[in-house]
Amino acid sequence: MKTVQRLLPFITLIILVVALSIATPHFLTATNLSSVVRQTAVFNIMALGMTLIIISSGVDLSVGSILAMGGLMGTMAMSKGQPILVGVLVGILTGGLFGLINGLAITRLNISPFIVTLGTMGIVRGLALVVSNGLPVHEIPKAFSYLGEGTVLGVPFVLLLLVVCAFLVHFLLDHTRLGRYTFAIGSNQDAAIYAGIPVKFHTTAIYAIGGLLTGLAGMIEASRLMTGQPTAGQGYELQAIAAVVIGGGSLRGGEGSVVGTLIGGFIMGLLANGCDLLGINPYWQQVIIGAVIILAVSVDELRKRRAV
Amino acid sequence: MLLELKGVQKRFGGVVALRSGDLSINAGEVHLVMGENGAGKSTMMKIIAGLYQRDGGEMKWRGESVNFANPVEAAKVGIAMVHQESLLAPHLTVAENIFLGRELSNRFGLVDRGAMFDKARRLIEEHHFPLQAEWKVERLSPAGKQLVEICRAIQHGTSLLIFDEPTSSLSEAETHEVFKIVRTLRDRGTGVIYITHRMDELRSVGDRVTILRDGETVHSESMSTLSTSSMIRYMVGREVAALYSREPVTPGEELLRVHNLTSPPSVKDVSLTVRAGEIVGMAGLVGAGRTELCRAIFGLDQPSAGQIWVGGEHVSIGNPRDAVRHGVALIPEDRQKTGLARELPISWNVTLAGVPSKYGVLQHGVEREITAKAIERLRIRCDSGAQKAGRLSGGNQQKVVISKWVSRGAKVFLFDEPTRGIDIGAKVEVFEVMDELARQGAAILMVSSELPELLQVADRILVMRQGRLAGELPGRTTQEEIMRLATLPSSGTELEL
Ligand SMILES: Nc1ncnc2c1ncn2[C@@H]1O[C@H](COP(=O)(O)OP(=O)(O)OP(=O)(O)O)[C@@H](O)[C@H]1O
Ligand SMILES: [Mg+2]
Repeated sequence: MKTVQRLLPFITLIILVVALSIATPHFLTATNLSSVVRQTAVFNIMALGMTLIIISSGVDLSVGSILAMGGLMGTMAMSKGQPILVGVLVGILTGGLFGLINGLAITRLNISPFIVTLGTMGIVRGLALVVSNGLPVHEIPKAFSYLGEGTVLGVPFVLLLLVVCAFLVHFLLDHTRLGRYTFAIGSNQDAAIYAGIPVKFHTTAIYAIGGLLTGLAGMIEASRLMTGQPTAGQGYELQAIAAVVIGGGSLRGGEGSVVGTLIGGFIMGLLANGCDLLGINPYWQQVIIGAVIILAVSVDELRKRRAV
Repeated sequence: MLLELKGVQKRFGGVVALRSGDLSINAGEVHLVMGENGAGKSTMMKIIAGLYQRDGGEMKWRGESVNFANPVEAAKVGIAMVHQESLLAPHLTVAENIFLGRELSNRFGLVDRGAMFDKARRLIEEHHFPLQAEWKVERLSPAGKQLVEICRAIQHGTSLLIFDEPTSSLSEAETHEVFKIVRTLRDRGTGVIYITHRMDELRSVGDRVTILRDGETVHSESMSTLSTSSMIRYMVGREVAALYSREPVTPGEELLRVHNLTSPPSVKDVSLTVRAGEIVGMAGLVGAGRTELCRAIFGLDQPSAGQIWVGGEHVSIGNPRDAVRHGVALIPEDRQKTGLARELPISWNVTLAGVPSKYGVLQHGVEREITAKAIERLRIRCDSGAQKAGRLSGGNQQKVVISKWVSRGAKVFLFDEPTRGIDIGAKVEVFEVMDELARQGAAILMVSSELPELLQVADRILVMRQGRLAGELPGRTTQEEIMRLATLPSSGTELEL
């Protein structure tokens, strides 16, 4: 029974795939599947960073704004004549910078992550609009579209990117000191302090890493749209948090995994895709996603309560 | 007969916490439940109080078979429990916690704060508890929290009151107050179940005793006929020397020197030294500033004056990280809050203060070895190192906390009430670990409110009173001598207001 509950996200994913295959012939086609993968890759890469943050018992509401800022800076660099690679790097580092600022504000000012990132969510979005004057960046080299739309031996390039990022974050969580401290801080911050763990440094690092991943997601998003949009990524924080939580992460900290988050991310992606294919009103999609989040968390709570 | 349990069982997944629990309680008796850490005492009590549901066996309340689905149902028939681990709402006040879930209401159905605070105040005064109804619970020491739990349990009429190690964090005076409460309740015809690991308490409070071992009731007898040694034999299943005595070591170099340390408001001008191989005891009443002294040395509080040397080196310790780097370890008083990451595996807790890694990459193999060694050395009772630490019994949790520093290889150990809540077998094991550490050249400062324990273990005993060092005594002193220093202002000491 317990294992069934732990596998629930995975089972849900399978059921979704099967159900969608039966419900519509358009689902199991190469074009549709690769579009699902591309769509979810952006969320999933962001959600990987969010996994770290949530395990440390924090949260980052500013990812949507940071994603826009990263994409904007990267594309602006390219439009100013920088090579694509430099542009991508600029986007990623911009994300990292704002993640770092989040981390520093949380640890140095001793303010809760919720409040800090609620603030930076507005600040970063505002800054993005200011620097771009509210206008999207269009003058981007054609080849840049490869990041979001290209394939390697028929496999979407973003999927490979996602796999690499997932491996890195998984390795970080399970095999590095930083990962271990992430769990320790999330599970009992006082105990971590008493054990002499540099809690502030590691917490800051976690947010910075989350920012880097968000910056990358921003570049992918920009590549898919072939524009740098200051308004990109609105509401993405919900998607990222949902992916982590559906995958078994706990907002109380100390719990979460890369595999879980990926499954959670794909569940979200399939729900959206399914709604599109079945012609369900996009407004309803939001309702469905919200309901799924509550459902996933309540099932998880039930499992934990029984295990006590 | 108030309550009767026969062959009660409880499993948690693969772990059998209670194999066959038998217990019968009469009205108007104080019934002790004894057993080693992890024997299943708390589990049995939680079944009685409706927190857990049994997997098998029988439970009868006043002759009728019962099954409590939750604590509210148990409370309805008059069963209340004072928990081992604090289950209070930290952000609420003492009064609000006492009445949590049973708020008094006025005739409009609104919460009557005035009445609640009045009643709480009366309760606190009646028992001379050092509490204020308005205080926030999060500010309280473990002892203070325990007292709130006790108020909470006795504030509404109960027929059966369960105390799960109520005194493990209490001072002598508070302990006597608790005993008084227990006796009053008994004389009013209430049945009392009382769990403790403190052998000195037993005789003064218990009428009958039931002993659990490995989840099974192995013996039940009247207190007056059962000798201490046979009680220990039933508990442990083997002969254990009830008295531990330590061969003192010739002290080596000075590892810790504290000079004129002042950390307002609780620590005033304290100087002390601890040498390699020494175990220095630190006695004093609760509130004498002993915990605060440890905190200041460990960098958790910022001293306003004073200096610290570790291993002959003048150090400045601004936070616990500095302390750990200089080889200072603190085993904190409040294990739940600051010592243990409950949701994490035992092994992660064991290596929390120094996870083995190379270039930031964990060495899982080394970690497994360290964990296995720690489990063996401290005899931590668990299935495997992968088990969640919070699932262990209270005493075994404490051993996990200690093991973290043992495997880190610290030089100076500050033990703050290290044996709180651990059974006699485990106590001796903790003493042995301390002794071994000292023999290998560590310096140990041990804060304890249990005087017999200090007398057994410490080479010399420092006594604190109202934040100051009141004096130093040799290891072979007497309890009376310590108490004299701890309580009386000796001549020449200016009175402070
Ligand atoms: N919620 C739980 N999940 C899994 N195992 C548990 C749980 N609670 C208790 N156990 C296990 O059941 C056994 C009995 O635990 P219990 O807390 O009843 O011991 P105890 O006699 O109260 O010990 P102590 O004196 O240390 O408090 C232990 O081995 C413990 O690890
Ligand atoms: Mg217990």
